[in-house]
Amino acid sequence: MSKKKKHKQKKQHKQITKKTQVEKPKLFFEKVKHFYITEYKKLFFIPIILFVLSGIILLITYAQTGFFMKRDVTLQGGVSLTITTNYSDLDYLESYITEKYPLSSVNIRTIEARGGIVGLIIEASDIHGEQLLNTTKEIIDFSDYSIETMGSSLGSSFFKQMFVAVLVAFLFMGFVFQLYFKSLYATFAALLSAFLDIFITMGIMDLLNVRLTAGGIAAYLMLIGYSVDTSILLSTKLLKEESKDVNIALFGAMKTGFTMSAAGIAATGISFLLTNNVTLKQIMLILIVGLVIDLITTWIGNVPLLRFYLEKNVKN
Amino acid sequence: MLYIIVFFLTLLVINPNPWHSGVTIRTVTSNSSAYNAGMQSPEPTEVPMVRERIVEINRVPINNVIDFEKVIDSLPENVTLTIKTEKTKFGFFHDVNTYFVNYISKDKLGLKVYDAPKSNILLGLDLQGGTRVVLQPETEVSSEDMEIIKTNMERRLNVFGLSDTIITARKDLSGTQFIVVEIAGANEEEVKELLAKQGKFEAKIGNETVFLGGRDITYVCRTAQCSGIDPQYGCQQFSDGYNCRFRFSISLSPEAAQRQANITRNLNVVSEGFGEGYLSKNLDLYLDDVLVDTLRIGAELKGNPVTDISISGSGVGRNRQEALTDTQLNMKRLQTVLITGSLPVKLNIIKTDTLSPQLGKEFLRNAIWIAILSELAVTVIVLLRYRKVKIAIPIITVISSEILLILGIAALLKQNIDIAGIAGIIVAIGTGVDDQIVITDEILGHEKEEDVDRYLNWAQRIKKAFFIVIASYFATIAAMIPLLFAGAGLLQGFAVTTIIGVTNGVFITRPAFAQMMEILLSEE
Repeated sequence: MSKKKKHKQKKQHKQITKKTQVEKPKLFFEKVKHFYITEYKKLFFIPIILFVLSGIILLITYAQTGFFMKRDVTLQGGVSLTITTNYSDLDYLESYITEKYPLSSVNIRTIEARGGIVGLIIEASDIHGEQLLNTTKEIIDFSDYSIETMGSSLGSSFFKQMFVAVLVAFLFMGFVFQLYFKSLYATFAALLSAFLDIFITMGIMDLLNVRLTAGGIAAYLMLIGYSVDTSILLSTKLLKEESKDVNIALFGAMKTGFTMSAAGIAATGISFLLTNNVTLKQIMLILIVGLVIDLITTWIGNVPLLRFYLEKNVKN
Repeated sequence: MLYIIVFFLTLLVINPNPWHSGVTIRTVTSNSSAYNAGMQSPEPTEVPMVRERIVEINRVPINNVIDFEKVIDSLPENVTLTIKTEKTKFGFFHDVNTYFVNYISKDKLGLKVYDAPKSNILLGLDLQGGTRVVLQPETEVSSEDMEIIKTNMERRLNVFGLSDTIITARKDLSGTQFIVVEIAGANEEEVKELLAKQGKFEAKIGNETVFLGGRDITYVCRTAQCSGIDPQYGCQQFSDGYNCRFRFSISLSPEAAQRQANITRNLNVVSEGFGEGYLSKNLDLYLDDVLVDTLRIGAELKGNPVTDISISGSGVGRNRQEALTDTQLNMKRLQTVLITGSLPVKLNIIKTDTLSPQLGKEFLRNAIWIAILSELAVTVIVLLRYRKVKIAIPIITVISSEILLILGIAALLKQNIDIAGIAGIIVAIGTGVDDQIVITDEILGHEKEEDVDRYLNWAQRIKKAFFIVIASYFATIAAMIPLLFAGAGLLQGFAVTTIIGVTNGVFITRPAFAQMMEILLSEE
């Protein structure tokens, strides 16, 4: 108790020496901190709500497309044509292609720079590369292009294997975690926060109408690793260290964790904003959203679970 | 300090040289003007910086592909060229060679070049442009057969005129086999057809096989004297386009010739009015069980083992030029298949990528920018948090060297850096910084607790930090390993750069960082 008083005194001292303008936000901050420490059980509802919302979005997508995320040609099979042009009548182009090849489903994205369109990415399923190339040439004049075709069997086998990879990653991480912390409860909490992280991120992606690519799945794998990272940090501080005050250890961990996430978000954020490559953009987008959501699932999801566990144990 | 040694080793491996000029030779086509002057294609094992470069043609310095094209385009036909090249031997020494090339025309020159690379970093196809074809055998093949397929394909591509090719046999997580063929450089769409053909060539009279592609054929003519557009037929116009015919001679082995004699012995001669008579049956040529041509057999061949035979075929197009090109292409393909023989099994193309070098260059430039700016962004965050330049400096130094180390090890492993690989590098920067933040906090930390922890010495604090670092390391590796194999290795670049990044992070840069921190902060 005395430690807390000393702590409060130090804080007040700091408050007196700073200008009064700073007081109001600091008081607010203190209130938030207090709420965070005492009402953590209520806070746990936030991740749950996000989980439910994402669940709804994913279910809707499932009903619409037969899978809970919209996939692009690299995972379903099809052709992806990238051209350098400033052509902007996308609707006309799309309808032109579908008229000629009614079985094909077409999706056109733009590559933009300096405020205008500098390129187009035309994706179509159930069509040959040459057909798409020649048909597009009928409307747009271009010389430089890249074209990628993915057979549907390769796409779907890749997707299935990635799915398995994600599950294996989860299991392995759980295993490593359990080995270090020897607490099934903590392991469960860590895996749950990683799972929620991915789940909610997927929901947001679906909401933003972003189609999943092969690179995107790699990004999700990274995200699992990252989320487990922050959980490891948290669990180490709370479970392994011999500090007397859980809250102090917790805030110490939070400071480290937030800095880590900020650095990660900075790196991926810059990449996302500046890249002109679609694969990279999607990977970075998933990582940014995932990192931000991880802040929620770890510090408002994982933490309450651990605190609950600790309090139960202290009582015993 | 292990770190410094590794750092310099990496620089050596990457061998960066922004002033490396000239054009590097990608391929020298056999029997071309350049080939006859003694020029050779590079060995596939030679690293990019070592390969032979053209630096001068007829005393005009060549700095890049644009210079090269300009000089070649301005040449009149039938002159002698003096081509000066440099080839790196033993690190810093150059071998200078001069070749005297009998230049006949542009298409007979037989030189494919590209801008000399500035470092040994191998770029993936989406960054340098090229063609990628992924094939799947129709039935499962043994590993020996897989080797046969790979070698055959390499030969086919070489014979066709392409040598900067990488052919890899891959297996994905469910055991499906793939063959990934990557050809760097410009679009080579003709290649796709060449690769997928099983190449089973049979010449039959009636139901009996006279000869097969491969062993039975000892020589396939590819010079102008006995191959090319059929002079008697040339190109003809039809209602919906043009049609041209090609022909080239081949030589049969004595056994095949004897077989042909034995079969034709029993045939009747059919007279066709004036001129020579023909035998009652034709020689039917089948490629992959599809009839591609049928030849009349001259009467004089009856019972005679003849070793020289003329093979013909055709091509079509909407206009004369298209038809000519198509015909020559068909001829080239057929010649290649006859020379290299057939594949043990049928292959299906399941993925093709044609990647533009121009777009690739833009992505690369963009990627370098992003890497620099990401680093800056991370620096800003670090400064904001710790407000001490003393702490920021080691962190930044370590990140920059991390990138270098990843690129260096990738170059050593001959791993291509593609877009996904760059994503892996950026992610490694992000997680790398995280570990350093953890270590820093652990070292600096416990300020809030005015209690016991002050007498934890350096070693113990660092040990605690490392505990976290290593645990998360294993977690990341676990996530990346499946990526190495899934889906014909499409995301291998990402997996490899990430694994290299975190591994060298844990074993090299973090300890170095910890040491740096110790030195810098123990002054307090």
